Amino acid sequence: MPYALNRVTVPVTVDADKCIADKGCTVCVDVCPLDVLAIDLTKGTAYMKFDECWYCMPCEKDCPTGAVNVDIPYLLR
Amino acid sequence: MNTIEMEVDVLVIGGGTAGPMAAVKAKEKNPALRVMVLEKANVKRSGAISMGMDGLNNAVIPGHATPEQYVKEITVANDGIVNQKTVMAYAQHSFSMIEELNNWGVKFEKDETGDYAVKKVHHIGTYVLPMPEGHNMKKVLYRQLKKRRVEVTNRLVATRLLLDENGAIAGAMAVDSRTADFYVIRTKTVILATGAAGRLGLPASGYLFGTYENPTNAGDGYSLAYHAGAELSGIECFQINPLIKDYNGPSCAYVTGPFGGYTANAKGDRFIECDYWSGQMMQEFYRELEGGNGPVFLKMDHLAEETISQIEDILHSNERPSRGRFHEGRGLNYRDGMVEMHISEIGLCSGHSASGVWVNERAETTVRGLYAAGDLACVPHNYMLGAFVYGKFAGESAAEYCAEHTPAPVDEHQIEEERARVWGPLSVKDGLPPAQVEYKLRRMVNDYLQPPKVTRKMEIGLQRFGEITKDLARLSAADPHELMRAMEIHFIRDCAEMAAVASLYRKESRWGLYHYRVDYPDKNDQDWFVHVQLKKGEDGNMTCFTRPIAPYIVPLDEQEKTAYEKLRIIKEPATI
Amino acid sequence: MNELANQNEEISAILARLIDPDPGVRRIAVLDLLDTDDYDLVAPALLQALGDQDASVRAEAAIALEGFETPEIIRGLLMALTDEAPEVAKAAAQSLAELKSPVTGVLLVTALSTAKGFQKASILRALRELRVPASLAPALAALNDTDDTVRAAALGVLGYLKAPSAVGPIAVLATSDKAPQVRRIAVGALGFEAADLSAILPALITALRDEFWQVREESVATLGKLGMDQGVPYLIEAMMDEYWQVRLKAARSLGKLRSREAVPVLSKALFHQVSNLRKEAAVALGEVGDARAIPALEKALQDPDPDVRKLAGLALSQITGK
Repeated sequence: MPYALNRVTVPVTVDADKCIADKGCTVCVDVCPLDVLAIDLTKGTAYMKFDECWYCMPCEKDCPTGAVNVDIPYLLR
Repeated sequence: MNTIEMEVDVLVIGGGTAGPMAAVKAKEKNPALRVMVLEKANVKRSGAISMGMDGLNNAVIPGHATPEQYVKEITVANDGIVNQKTVMAYAQHSFSMIEELNNWGVKFEKDETGDYAVKKVHHIGTYVLPMPEGHNMKKVLYRQLKKRRVEVTNRLVATRLLLDENGAIAGAMAVDSRTADFYVIRTKTVILATGAAGRLGLPASGYLFGTYENPTNAGDGYSLAYHAGAELSGIECFQINPLIKDYNGPSCAYVTGPFGGYTANAKGDRFIECDYWSGQMMQEFYRELEGGNGPVFLKMDHLAEETISQIEDILHSNERPSRGRFHEGRGLNYRDGMVEMHISEIGLCSGHSASGVWVNERAETTVRGLYAAGDLACVPHNYMLGAFVYGKFAGESAAEYCAEHTPAPVDEHQIEEERARVWGPLSVKDGLPPAQVEYKLRRMVNDYLQPPKVTRKMEIGLQRFGEITKDLARLSAADPHELMRAMEIHFIRDCAEMAAVASLYRKESRWGLYHYRVDYPDKNDQDWFVHVQLKKGEDGNMTCFTRPIAPYIVPLDEQEKTAYEKLRIIKEPATI
Repeated sequence: MNELANQNEEISAILARLIDPDPGVRRIAVLDLLDTDDYDLVAPALLQALGDQDASVRAEAAIALEGFETPEIIRGLLMALTDEAPEVAKAAAQSLAELKSPVTGVLLVTALSTAKGFQKASILRALRELRVPASLAPALAALNDTDDTVRAAALGVLGYLKAPSAVGPIAVLATSDKAPQVRRIAVGALGFEAADLSAILPALITALRDEFWQVREESVATLGKLGMDQGVPYLIEAMMDEYWQVRLKAARSLGKLRSREAVPVLSKALFHQVSNLRKEAAVALGEVGDARAIPALEKALQDPDPDVRKLAGLALSQITGK
């Protein structure tokens, strides 16, 4: 069965300059209740992998360097 | 992908609110027990209180309210359909639980002399205790889990319980949402604390995860209990809550109320006649929303500047802190505009309403070795504090059960069958992506089950949910994460079927909007002053039956009944 | 035993990262320490991190130490209150404020003697919940501090202690402190029952004329909380306050006191333009239970606000006993 590739914007963004995933940090990935964040090993930063956000904010609040920003998903804005 | 076997004494499924409390209390009762919390997310930030809680709605504090008074109020709020013993057990342990949480470091509002600052919001009893600094709840619970050396496994999705040949608990099976490893956990007892079925209806925004409840709570426990043969109760008493439109977060009348904020119509006037958080209140809300004075708003623009900043501090740091960002995006300031409100999609939840797994006052379900606590355990209007209290009951009851039982042998056939079911979607090529199936299923939940309930519509809904069952075998998962979503669709579909079957069974209207049946518009105490129970029948089919209401232990005498009637303006059945 | 070995191995690995040259790595190691299972091993390592040369690591350690109550850790956090980096000092203050065991009070009280400013306010805040008698004298002394936050925190300690001997000094701040927020806290701190009413009443009356409405609001609430009949004339006066918020609390207190003298002002408030106040007036009239309120309450049955109508109905049934 063929699948389509739809683009969607994601509410959670990560400032690559501030993110310290390359130093072993996985805080945002760990705390996300829906497990939508992941570490991009090639870039050494966290990113939002699945558009399944509850905009609940632990990822932003618990990030030790303030690299994560949670926006309201576009459909709700 | 591996199969991993474990053995414990007490397995707590769900590490949000009730779960950690249950685990701690089981350990406290017997430190030698092997107690494990199995969590789908991460216990540090999971469940309904992942960002804390801004207040207690049902604190029974000496000097402000009595357990008897509370039991009466809940009896009225739930239209008489309560097992009062369970409500009383909560009420009697409410204050000691507040004290214990306070000692653990949970922060409740106090006045300048350290006395609890209980606020009057309801009109008879006084039950609201704000928690303006309640954002540290999960941290406090995590610390207790560590102190008691409770074992924790994160990112596991429990998929089925294992039973022994006599139908008692023997274990549970789960799948890792990151590796797809399959877990077989032998255990003497299981405590279900998986929260509400919050991913049932589709939010009006169409965003699958923009739900009122934490969307991690897909109704897992309802489905686990059902397939283990446990009785569920009041499933037809849906959860529908007022909320901020589009944002879909709680409106927090309990937070703003003590400060003077209130729910108003477009004219800025109050319109709610009902005094209890109940289906009747939601009925009035819905009518105003759809009526000529609608829609509905949260009004705060009459408050003083100092008060509004205080409200903002609380609402924007607790429970659902992104609401400040949402309002900012819309250019709304509480000082000069009202917040547009709406009602939530439907869900199952006993914390706010009464739909859950049937438990007695010891948190025992009808399956031996199986306990339930929190939003999924049927103790009406139990809220967060009720989750803690029933978590405690469940932990203690499970510890006692462990002392008298040896581990039951597990049935390899059950395990084999479940592993095939769980891993199935990983090997389906060219199948259906979970997100698409979930969208369709939940859209149909809205179309056919959202009140006002119509018999024929619900029958069609049942038929559609049956057709989705056939799609389940075609679900395909590209990775373990999608596999988790695929398994959740099984839970959601089970809950949808239960919601339809139980709603069709109760042929009357009750609980206002929660169970408003257009073709049976009146309340009928003669035939339906009973609990409606639902379980998996001997033949494997979903079946409903009634349970009589146990004689009240706190009777409502005539004078009190009239006092309540005076508060309640009776209206003719709504014609919406 | 395998588990224990694994765990030790895990902790060893984290400890090694704790001395990594990169502060980012050390900081993550602090976070990871908290997830390990052996708090006995974790505590000394966190204490070491509290002395790290990098402020971000020290701050993370100070946050992580919340919930630990050993003397070494409390001493460490007390030291960190004077850290040159504000985020470290703030985190240490936060963790100290979470202390629960009264035995830790001795260490805190001792540290108070040389503390100043932020450090002193933080220690007093930590002492508040502990309610240790030894904190009475230093808290009383701190009422003279020039720093507003220190005086406010000292009032917190005294209010929670509910010590009769503190009433006089608290009353002084309630009426004459230069900071409105301090006056408000002081007024609230007078609200405990064992207190000497003769010393409290004048202070509360003075506070009723405070230029800040929140001080006045606290005062009318405290009069109600203490059930002071002597306060009735003043509460009736407060029913004329320019802020409806103050009138609302005054109405609540008058209801609690079942004041018959208040029936006229409460009846008048039944028709104020803010419905919040109308509701409270109806509740209060029900509690007072005086038949003179019946005509006003009957009129309120036609109020446009359903809450006011319901509460007026309830009040009427309380008065008439029907």
